[in-house]
Amino acid sequence: MSKTVSERPPVDRRREGPAPLARSRSTKTPLGWWRNPWRRPRILATITWGYIAWSLLPVLIAIGISFNAGRSNSVWQGFSTQWWWGHPQSNPSGALFVSPELHAALLQSLRLSFLTMFIAVPIGVAFAIGISRWRGPAPAGANFLMLFSFVIPEIIIGISMFLFFTYLLKFVHLGTGAQLLALVTYQVSYPVIIVRARMLSIGREYEEAATDLGASPTQAIRRVLLPLLYPAILVSFVLVFADTIDDFITVRYLSGGSSTEPLSVKIYNYSRGTLTPAINAAATFLLFSTLVIALLGVFLYRRITRGQRAEAQEMTGYLT
Amino acid sequence: MTRREVLKRSGAAAVLLSGGGALLDACSKPGTVSSGGAHANGPGVGSYWPAGSPYPLARQDAPVTWKLWREPIKSGLAPEKGATLQIYNWADYIFLKVVKEFCAAYKCNYQITTFNNMDEGLAKMRTGQLQFDLFFPTPDVLGKLITGKLLQPLNHSYIPHLVSDVWETYQNPFYDQRWHYTVPYVTYTTGIGYRRDLIPDAQIRGMSNPYEIFWDTKFKGKIGIYDDYREAISMGLLKNGLTDLNTGNPKYINQAQQTLISLINAVNVRTSINGVYIGIPKGTFDIHQAWSGDSVTSWQYTPVQNMKTWQTLGYWFPADRKGPVFNDTITIPANAQNPVLAHHFLDWMMTYKNAMLNFSWNGYQPAQRQADPATLTTTKGYYGEPYVFPWLSDAVVRESDFHTGYFEEELTPQVDQLWHNAWQAFNSG
Amino acid sequence: MNILPRRRSRDEASGAWYPRWYWPGFALPGTLWLLVLFVLPFYVVISIAFGTVDPVFQSPLPVYEPWWWTKRYLAQEWHFATGEFRPVELRTIVYVILATAICLVFAYAVAYYVARFGGKRKGLFLALLIAPFFISYLMRMLSWVELLQPNGYVNSVLTFLHITPHPINWLAGVPFTVVMGLVYGYIPYMILPLYGFLDRIDQSHLEAGRDLGANRFWTFLRVTLPLSKPGILASLVIVTLPMFGDYYTNNLLSGSPKTTMFGNLLDNSMEATGQGPEAAILVLFLVVFLMIPMLYYMRETAKAQRNQ
Repeated sequence: MSKTVSERPPVDRRREGPAPLARSRSTKTPLGWWRNPWRRPRILATITWGYIAWSLLPVLIAIGISFNAGRSNSVWQGFSTQWWWGHPQSNPSGALFVSPELHAALLQSLRLSFLTMFIAVPIGVAFAIGISRWRGPAPAGANFLMLFSFVIPEIIIGISMFLFFTYLLKFVHLGTGAQLLALVTYQVSYPVIIVRARMLSIGREYEEAATDLGASPTQAIRRVLLPLLYPAILVSFVLVFADTIDDFITVRYLSGGSSTEPLSVKIYNYSRGTLTPAINAAATFLLFSTLVIALLGVFLYRRITRGQRAEAQEMTGYLT
Repeated sequence: MTRREVLKRSGAAAVLLSGGGALLDACSKPGTVSSGGAHANGPGVGSYWPAGSPYPLARQDAPVTWKLWREPIKSGLAPEKGATLQIYNWADYIFLKVVKEFCAAYKCNYQITTFNNMDEGLAKMRTGQLQFDLFFPTPDVLGKLITGKLLQPLNHSYIPHLVSDVWETYQNPFYDQRWHYTVPYVTYTTGIGYRRDLIPDAQIRGMSNPYEIFWDTKFKGKIGIYDDYREAISMGLLKNGLTDLNTGNPKYINQAQQTLISLINAVNVRTSINGVYIGIPKGTFDIHQAWSGDSVTSWQYTPVQNMKTWQTLGYWFPADRKGPVFNDTITIPANAQNPVLAHHFLDWMMTYKNAMLNFSWNGYQPAQRQADPATLTTTKGYYGEPYVFPWLSDAVVRESDFHTGYFEEELTPQVDQLWHNAWQAFNSG
Repeated sequence: MNILPRRRSRDEASGAWYPRWYWPGFALPGTLWLLVLFVLPFYVVISIAFGTVDPVFQSPLPVYEPWWWTKRYLAQEWHFATGEFRPVELRTIVYVILATAICLVFAYAVAYYVARFGGKRKGLFLALLIAPFFISYLMRMLSWVELLQPNGYVNSVLTFLHITPHPINWLAGVPFTVVMGLVYGYIPYMILPLYGFLDRIDQSHLEAGRDLGANRFWTFLRVTLPLSKPGILASLVIVTLPMFGDYYTNNLLSGSPKTTMFGNLLDNSMEATGQGPEAAILVLFLVVFLMIPMLYYMRETAKAQRNQ
């Protein structure tokens, strides 16, 4: 029921300033708020923070339960370290650091993770370097192979490795050796992807500059490319370690008996039945060791790149 | 996995290792073996010997006598000194205290390797990687083991306690007449475990077909059956009133399959292996298919340890004792490094004192003469509680059960495939 | 489009001499490893699938010579695949599609927010988003198993807020639980690649769209979404393909045959007796099934690379 334009009294713009925004343009009304292209993204922010809480809160609760005073896995019954190094009553598997079975499993987990890490990452990094520079039709096949081994469901690798070792390569007994071979096969594509992504963003200029200045190919790689890749390589180490220590699918099929089952397999077996907070303690310990390795990686990264950062500061200081 | 979960994961247990020399058959069609030639040259004697089978299949009415493929060890030998006894058993199936006492008495060490299912067990046995001194198979894989020459015949002079302490039926079990290769380990029955506070004993015992309790929609979502194809389909057969738990009749198997599938829709049934001793005390299940030993030992797993919670655990088995019954065995592998010590261990386990100590922890009843079934509910065991609580009296196994009960025995490959197909169909939902 | 005249190869232009075997040499250990330990086992799997069984032990006998291959087990399994297994296959596909769709919506939202509006807190966000990679899948599922118990905190909260009248048994074969479990498990793997791609989208593209008069919605639809298509494709491949082989989520969150997935069929056949050829054939089915999206993805990325 607003008046038409001709009926409105003339506006003296010199006194009153520019025309006020129409209602739909005002940012103070709901519709205006919705349409404001510069408003803060509250919905997305809520979703993001909500996701982070949903993602991490259950794990924090699970870590808390590992210090439960009772036997329940779902209800807090008070604080106690009985599941870590105490003697919980009538618990078949015992506390984490006390039970010989869990102890052996813990060592097996660490053993497999470290060995896999030190085998898979060098092979993967070398493969990434090679594939990025190799020309010709063959690389596409190798690349496809690597990519396929990354996305394939792990159960397929587990089953085919099991059949492989029990039928063809019978001299490889089920146990740590077989588990190691299968784990490296599954993990070797992880560093490849990380390093290749990094190499794409680095480009070839540095190597070319080095070879222009007279370096041999190997020297160019060793002294120019690899240092630039250190962050990616460190990240690969940490991620491969994290992935291996949690792996239970492949190693479960390839374990040679109770003694070669790592902690992750024990957790899987127990979580299908005997749920006690000891399992939470075991899983928390795996998480803890991964964190330690990650922190080590960050520390090493800062030490290694300290030189680069110092040089960069020097150079910029020289230029200004 | 823990504690005696899968006692019989295999009807016709398969081993995941091929026979040696498969690669040498490149010139001939693989898989052809001169089996079933003259039965007289076979590994055993039995009246039920289906065509194509390399060995006779043991049945209650067709017992099998296994031939001695080599001589047992000599009598009167001294036990090995400073040896490490290699035991290969199900996970958590033997009380460590019993083993420790044996080793203290015979001055030896022990090492227990465990398997999670019979396949795994057989596979490891065949590789010969580790030479085990003791192996605990279920009777239905004895045919494979003996035909494959993986077990050695026993010298009875070392094991007098089997004759003196163990039920008489085990001196001539149908699966190994005259106990050439085996001694019995523990016996058990398969019935129904339930919460006594939710289902009064009188109710389940008063039902005309107690197996129908599985279909009680009042407990929807809290009903479980074993994740084992033989046990589950047998339950279906029994519910339908059939008693041959080794049937090859496709119609009956199909019926059992439909019965089980109807459980899914009716009560949202779930499968598990330790639902009885973990699930029922915890409240995950109210009704679960149960092995007697699981029920007997479930008191150790209740969150609150007092008589009131223990009284909520119940077990039912048909009053006329016509239900699934069986036992496990202990054997000595052919390549055992310490056979004399192993024989002494068998004797140790056949002795009343040690067998009952194992029973206190294990929950599975040994076939001991002195263990009068009537007194098991009152006699106190190692932990100061009765071996079997009085309200679990159905879980007590009697020697007569082996005449009234039904056995799940080895099937021919074709019949086994039928059972597997039915199980797969059920598992696909 | 490259309008410059074609140059000699970059190696020649820079003057460095690389032996022909130099770069392939780097790739050789990895390729050999994969050939021996990834491709060769598949041949064993095929030999078992088309093989026979040992008469005594009923164990699978692989038949390595192709001329002796039997189709017996293949025919049997094909019969199953089109018969009894059909509900499982359908169910797996439905679960995977549902889970992937939910993952995509939320992962995109989170990745978009962090990439565009993260600002000074981007490092913190990234750390929190990477955290699930360090926590084992088992532990994350375990946490939910404990929360979803009948007496667990989820039920306590729901009954406290009167959303549900009495505790729900979440772990008794509820498809919702399994799908949400899959989402929870795989969504971190989707967020990071999406973030990587969205981060690289130049702000100027979006401002150009805005300048040309498009509002927020159309800018998103016509500019952002097409630019992030390779990212979406990559993250879909990383998440969907492994999900087809997932069996442990169902095992942990639901013990019921009502929610069996294809991975469970594989796992069960490994634990069952006399099912060696069956396990091998199921593996082959799954591999062949997964090759198709894989090849499609390779084709798309090759096309995109050629267009650049």
